[in-house]
Amino acid sequence: MKTSLKRLVVDSATDWLYVGIFEGDKALITHYEQGKNNHSATLMPTVEKLFKEVNLDVIHIDELIVGIGPGSYTGVRIGVVVMKMFAWTLNKPLYTVSSLALLASSFTSNGLVMPSIDARRGNAFLGIYDKEGQQLTLRHAEKHMALKDALNDYPKAHHVTQGEPSLPVILHSNVLVKVDDVHLVAPVYLRQTEAERNLS
Amino acid sequence: MIVLSVESSCDETSVAISKDGKHVLSNVVLSQISLHQAFGGVVPEIASREHVKGITVVFEQAIKEAQLHVDDIDLIAVTKGPGLIGSLLVGINAAKAFAFAHHIPLIGVHHIAGHIYANQVNDEMVFPLVALVVSGGHTELILMKDHYQFEKLGETQDDAVGEAYDKIARILHLGYPGGPVIDQMAQTGNPTYPMPSINPTGTYDFSYSGLKSHVINTVNTHKMKKEPIQTHNMAASFQQAAVKHLIEQSKKAVTDTGANMFIVAGGVAANQSLRRAVFETFKDIKVTVPAFTYCTDNAAMIGIAGYYQYQQSKKHDDLSLNGASRMDLSSI
Ligand SMILES: [Zn+2]
Repeated sequence: MKTSLKRLVVDSATDWLYVGIFEGDKALITHYEQGKNNHSATLMPTVEKLFKEVNLDVIHIDELIVGIGPGSYTGVRIGVVVMKMFAWTLNKPLYTVSSLALLASSFTSNGLVMPSIDARRGNAFLGIYDKEGQQLTLRHAEKHMALKDALNDYPKAHHVTQGEPSLPVILHSNVLVKVDDVHLVAPVYLRQTEAERNLS
Repeated sequence: MIVLSVESSCDETSVAISKDGKHVLSNVVLSQISLHQAFGGVVPEIASREHVKGITVVFEQAIKEAQLHVDDIDLIAVTKGPGLIGSLLVGINAAKAFAFAHHIPLIGVHHIAGHIYANQVNDEMVFPLVALVVSGGHTELILMKDHYQFEKLGETQDDAVGEAYDKIARILHLGYPGGPVIDQMAQTGNPTYPMPSINPTGTYDFSYSGLKSHVINTVNTHKMKKEPIQTHNMAASFQQAAVKHLIEQSKKAVTDTGANMFIVAGGVAANQSLRRAVFETFKDIKVTVPAFTYCTDNAAMIGIAGYYQYQQSKKHDDLSLNGASRMDLSSI
């Protein structure tokens, strides 16, 4: 009866905030909106509002899926902390997914996709995915690099910087990672902090 | 009333459970201090990352140690500021998610109110009272005429006293954090180095930049002349001057306001010389300093303050509660 699972999906790793409540892969309600560096103030009220509108309680959710970056954007921690808390305190299974995979899933046609998240000073966190029907495959590992170089290296890839994630694509692809120990969940930063880089 | 409280404003991840604003049932503190020592101070981004790693573990341990069930919790209190914004947001969002998951009301608490209410753990406040708040980020005198009424009398015009300690510890190569080390050395030193007296301005404000510069200049002059500094004596000299300034301004505030009680709050409240001086100075009124466990950042103090805040206002916050790095105590 896998299709009847209720799922809560959250991604706050970019300046767009994504929250969706699903039954199977069917959206009951979703929210995808650009924030003003204020996911901390808006994520929980959005979660509350969406549950109210579909007349459900978070206790009814069977699976939690959270975008864990990569990125250095402060927002990524907001979603991770909230979903980590739900998973621990309500004892629900938690899955993590690359926020770049979520971005790539918004691409509606087929072919190479290059989702990217701004990392300032001309740099980006990015990956190269192949999209075939409902399936995403990671072609080149996600990394932090100059966006200009990436655009040169992969001229054929469709560059995606925003777009509402598609849960059916995510569920059909091999991108979800089941969390064994909820306490250990943390964003993927891909980069050390500046202080650590300066020290070594 | 059972309060679960969360504190993550700097480099301590803490969750506590307290009862009726008095009894601390558990107070779990996960300190990151060893991680930041290599950098000579708290690195905000590292602090935020560590809070994410530790937050649910600390929740779990606090609930377990208090030996109660989630259903027993009546209120969630969380530090909303002031502090490092990235750190604050981890605790705030963890608290909001927990409150939402279990349908428990939530309130945001001012960090300094927490430090002040750390004095309520084993004692009763009597009013009016004057509170001296001293930490790495704060040097303030607060007047309270009743529970949860804060009036700022004065504050530092430059460095916080704890900040001055850290900077002087750095120039003397004593490591981080500077307060405990200098305090410890001062106990076996003599105040042989002359220090400038900090001019009373007629206000209740503080100033530590003059004293700090004087110590730094003295150390540098000695270095140039290749004369060794007697570190214990320098620590004792600086500490004596620093404490004297705190006591003089506090005395003025207590006299002028006719306070019936004087309390010390914040990390520097653990300072031995300050604790001694306070009890020697205020003999005719009630004086309290928090137990050592409650001097540094901890969630129990936020829970106690949160209890009184809720009793006074009967208001709770909604899920849009957010953090702020700066926040005025008088305006809450
Ligand atoms: Zn503090």
